[in-house]
Amino acid sequence: MDLIEKFISNAEEAAATVKIIRANANSLNDALIAATENELVLFAGPDDLDPELFSIFISNKNVITKPTKEQLSIISTGVTDAFCAVASTGSVCVSITKNLSSPVSMLTQKHIVVIDSRTIIPRPRDIFSENYLEGKGLKRSFSIITGPSATADMGPLVRGVHGPGKLHIIIIDSFDEMHVR
Amino acid sequence: MENINDYILHPRQVADKSSKETLQKAIKLALDVETDALRLNTQTFNTNRYRAVKRLDDYEELKNRARLIKEKSIKNLIPLISKVTKAIEARGGKVFYAKTKEDATAYIKKICLSREAKLVVKSKSITSEEIGLNSDLEKAGIEVAETDLAEFILQVSKEQPSHNVAPAIHRSRESISELFKRNFKTEKKLDTGEELTEFARDILRQKFLKADIGISGANFVAAKEGSILLVESEGNIRLTTQLPAVHIAIAGIEKIIPSKKDFGVFIELLAASGTGQPLTSYTNIIEPPLDLPVLNLNGRNDGKREFHLVLIDNGRMQMRDDEELKEALYCIRCSACMNSCSNFQTVGGHAFGGECYTGGIGGAWTVATTGSLEKARFAELCTGCSRCIPNCPVLIDIPRLNTTIKNRLIKADGGASLQKLFFGNFSKLGKYSSIVPTLTNFIVSLSISKLLMEKIVGLDKRRPIPRFANKTLKRQYKLYRKSNSIQISDVFKKGLVLFADVFTNYNNPQVGMATVRVFDKLGIPIKLSKIIEDGRAAQSQGLIESARQSAIKLAGYLEEIIDSGKEIIVAEPSVLALFRYDYKKLINNDYLFSKLEKHTYDPIEYLNKLLNHSELDLTGKIEIKKLNSDKIFYHAHCQLKTIGAGNTALEFFNKLGFIVEISNVECCGMAGSFGYKKGYYDISKNIGNELIKQIKKVATRDSKKVILASGTSCREQLRDELEETIYHPIEYLEKILK
Repeated sequence: MDLIEKFISNAEEAAATVKIIRANANSLNDALIAATENELVLFAGPDDLDPELFSIFISNKNVITKPTKEQLSIISTGVTDAFCAVASTGSVCVSITKNLSSPVSMLTQKHIVVIDSRTIIPRPRDIFSENYLEGKGLKRSFSIITGPSATADMGPLVRGVHGPGKLHIIIIDSFDEMHVR
Repeated sequence: MENINDYILHPRQVADKSSKETLQKAIKLALDVETDALRLNTQTFNTNRYRAVKRLDDYEELKNRARLIKEKSIKNLIPLISKVTKAIEARGGKVFYAKTKEDATAYIKKICLSREAKLVVKSKSITSEEIGLNSDLEKAGIEVAETDLAEFILQVSKEQPSHNVAPAIHRSRESISELFKRNFKTEKKLDTGEELTEFARDILRQKFLKADIGISGANFVAAKEGSILLVESEGNIRLTTQLPAVHIAIAGIEKIIPSKKDFGVFIELLAASGTGQPLTSYTNIIEPPLDLPVLNLNGRNDGKREFHLVLIDNGRMQMRDDEELKEALYCIRCSACMNSCSNFQTVGGHAFGGECYTGGIGGAWTVATTGSLEKARFAELCTGCSRCIPNCPVLIDIPRLNTTIKNRLIKADGGASLQKLFFGNFSKLGKYSSIVPTLTNFIVSLSISKLLMEKIVGLDKRRPIPRFANKTLKRQYKLYRKSNSIQISDVFKKGLVLFADVFTNYNNPQVGMATVRVFDKLGIPIKLSKIIEDGRAAQSQGLIESARQSAIKLAGYLEEIIDSGKEIIVAEPSVLALFRYDYKKLINNDYLFSKLEKHTYDPIEYLNKLLNHSELDLTGKIEIKKLNSDKIFYHAHCQLKTIGAGNTALEFFNKLGFIVEISNVECCGMAGSFGYKKGYYDISKNIGNELIKQIKKVATRDSKKVILASGTSCREQLRDELEETIYHPIEYLEKILK
C-alpha cells in the first residue's frame, strides 16, 4: 500500500471522510462546493498550500474570509489547509499562526481540510524529523488532528464534542505516474 | 449494584486513606456502586491498548527510548528548568516556579485578579487537582468552568478523580443522566450519550465564548523551544488555550524533556498506551504566547496574548532524591497500569487511589505530593501481580514502588502486623506444619480455629486455608527415586534440577512429582533441589530486607547448579518470576541475574522449547482418546505472562492437537496471599468470579472440559467455586502421555 492509500484507509478508520482530486483550482472548487453544501463557510486562507488553488473557491458568495466575531462564533462549516498529513494514523496537521486556520478548525462543527498528497509522511514521529517536510514539522505551533472530536466520558463513544463532529479531508494529487489510480 | 447518587458515603469522604478503616470503607463503596462501570470502561481501554501497541512495530524500542529520555530529563532537571524559562521568556511569556502548592495557587489567583477575570475555563489537569486550584479561585470569587466532560461531571458530583485519563470512569451513562437531571432544571432529554454530550457542550460553549482566562495542564514541555504538548479528544484544550487572551499552563517539573524532537518518541506511545488509539483526536504542539491574533469573542479588548507557565515542585524535587520512589517521576500519566490491573478494574481510584492520584502509580505520587506516607495506604491494593510492568511505556517497576511504600508503612506503623508476618513467613509455617500435617490441617479446619485465625492473623474465615500435604515433595521424591532409577537419553546428559519451592514442597507435592515423572518418562533426567527459602512471600508483604537476605542466599545456590551445566525447572510461576524478574533488584548482581534469567524455566515452557528445536518428539506419545475428548481451558498466571511465558502452555497443547481456550483476565484475583486476607477477600472473590463466569461459559458440547492453571493460588481461587479438578499443565500432560 502506498502512503496515500494508507492515509485514506486510516483517516476513514478514524471516522473522517476523504476525497482525492486533481491539483487545480477548478477541481478544488467543485470538491469544496460539494462538501460545504452551499452553506455559509468560513475560509481561513491557506497557510501552506498555493493560494492560487483556492482562487475560484474564494469568489463564491457563501465564502467568508474575514469573519466578524459573531460569524466566527456561529458559522458551522470551516475550510482550512494543512501543512502535512500522516499515513499511519490518518491525521492532518493544521498550523496555529496569524491566520485564522486554527479557530476555524476548532469552532465549527464541520471542518473541511485540504492537503497536498506530497506532504503525506509515514508516521506521526516523522513530523518532528528534519528528514521530512524540510523541517516544517518543527514549526512553532500546530495541531495534529485525527478524526472528529470525540468523547467516551458520557458512556458510549460520541462524536462531536467541543470541536467539529465531522472532518472531511480533500487530498489534492498531481496523479503523476507514481499514483495512477 | 446500588445507586451511586444515593449511596450513604460520598467518595470524597474516603479520599484520604490515612487510616485502614477508611481504606476498607472505600473498598466497600467501590464494590457497592462503582464496579460495573469501572470494569467495563477499564477493560475497554485495556483491550484497545493491546490492539494499539500491536500496531506499533517498534513498540519495545520506543519504550526503551522513552525511558532513556525521561531518565536523562530527571537527571538534568535543574538545567532544563532554566532552559525552558529562558525560551519562554525570550518570546514574552512568563515562567513561575512554585515550590509549594500554595505558591502556585497564589500566583494563579494573582494573575486572575489583576486581569479582573470573572470566569476561567479549564481543561483537564490532574496537577491542578493536586494543588487544589479550583477551591482557591472560587474563594476569590472567580468562577471556574471545568470543560473536559469527565471533569465537568465531577464538578457537578463534587467527586475526586477515579482515574488519570478518564477521571469519571467510575460512572455509568445512567448514573450521569440521573445526576444531571437532579442538578440541572431542564426540559431537555438526557438519556443517551449524545443528549448528555450536547447538553454539556452547549453549556460549556457559552463559557468558552465568555471566558477571561484559560488554564490548561501539559503532557510534555520541551525545554529548548519552550514548546508544550497537549493531548486530548474533545477539543476543549484547543479552545481553552486559544480563545482567551490569557493562557496559564500548569505543569509538574517532571514534564520537562529536552527538545521538541523528543515529542516524536512519545506521541504514538502515549496515545496507544492511554486510550488505545493510534493518536487521540488532537495532539496540540504550541509555543505560547501564540501568534494567533486575540479574538476577543468574550467582548473584552485584550490587546495581546499573554502566557504563564506555572512549574510545580510540591515535593517533586524531594522525590527526585528518593532513590526508590524517584522512578515514579518518569510517569507520563497514560493510565495503562490502572487499566491492566485486576484490582483497579474492580475498585477504581476511589478505593485504589487517594485525593488526587490513583492506581499502582498513585501511591508514590501521593507520598511525594502530600508529604504523607499514610495517605498512600491504598498501595496495599497492589498485589504485585506485575501485569502493569510490560504495559508501562516508560518501564516503571510499579509493584516495586508499592513494595517500598508497604515496607515504609510497616516501619511507620511500628512493625509488621501479624497478618503480614504470617504470610511473609509462610515457609516456616510449612516446615513446622509438615511435621504433623494431618494435625495442622485438622486444627485449621475447625471453625473455632478459623475464627481465631481471622481475629488474630486476619485470615478471612470464608476462605479455605491451603492444606499441607501429608508427605512433602522432598519426601515423596526420595521414596520415588528409591524404586525408579533415571533412564537417561543421550541428548539430555546434563539434566535438569526441579526447584523445590515452598508451595510445591509443602502444599502441592503432586505438581512436583508430576514434573519429575513426566521428565523421567521423556528420558530427561531431573533431580530435586534443596529446600531453600526464596523470598517471594516476604517481598509480597513488603518485608524487603528479609526477602533480600533469602534471595542472595538462594541465588548463590542456583548459580552452582547453573554452573554445573544444568537448567532449572520451576513449577510455581510466582517463584519463576521472582528468579527472572524480581531478583534483578533483590540480589543486585547483574551477571548472576542474567544467568538466572537464561537458565530457569516453567516445565511446559522448557518442553515447548525442546519441541520448537526438534529436540523432542511427542508423535504417538499422546493418548488419542484424550485428544478426541478433552477441551482445555487455560488460565495463565499473571506473573508468568509478565515474564513472557504466559502463552507457552497454549502453544504447547495446540501443537499436540488440543483445542485450548485461554482466560481473558489479567490476574485471577487471588494473587498469592491477597485473597486470603480479611479486608481484601471481597475484591478477590469479585475478580475470581469474572474468571469463573468465563470458564462456565466454555462451550463443550460433546467434549470434556479440562481446566488448567499454573499458579497455586490461581488453582485455590478456582477450587473455591468449581467442582472440577483444576490441574497444573504439567499434571495434565502426565495424564495424556502414554
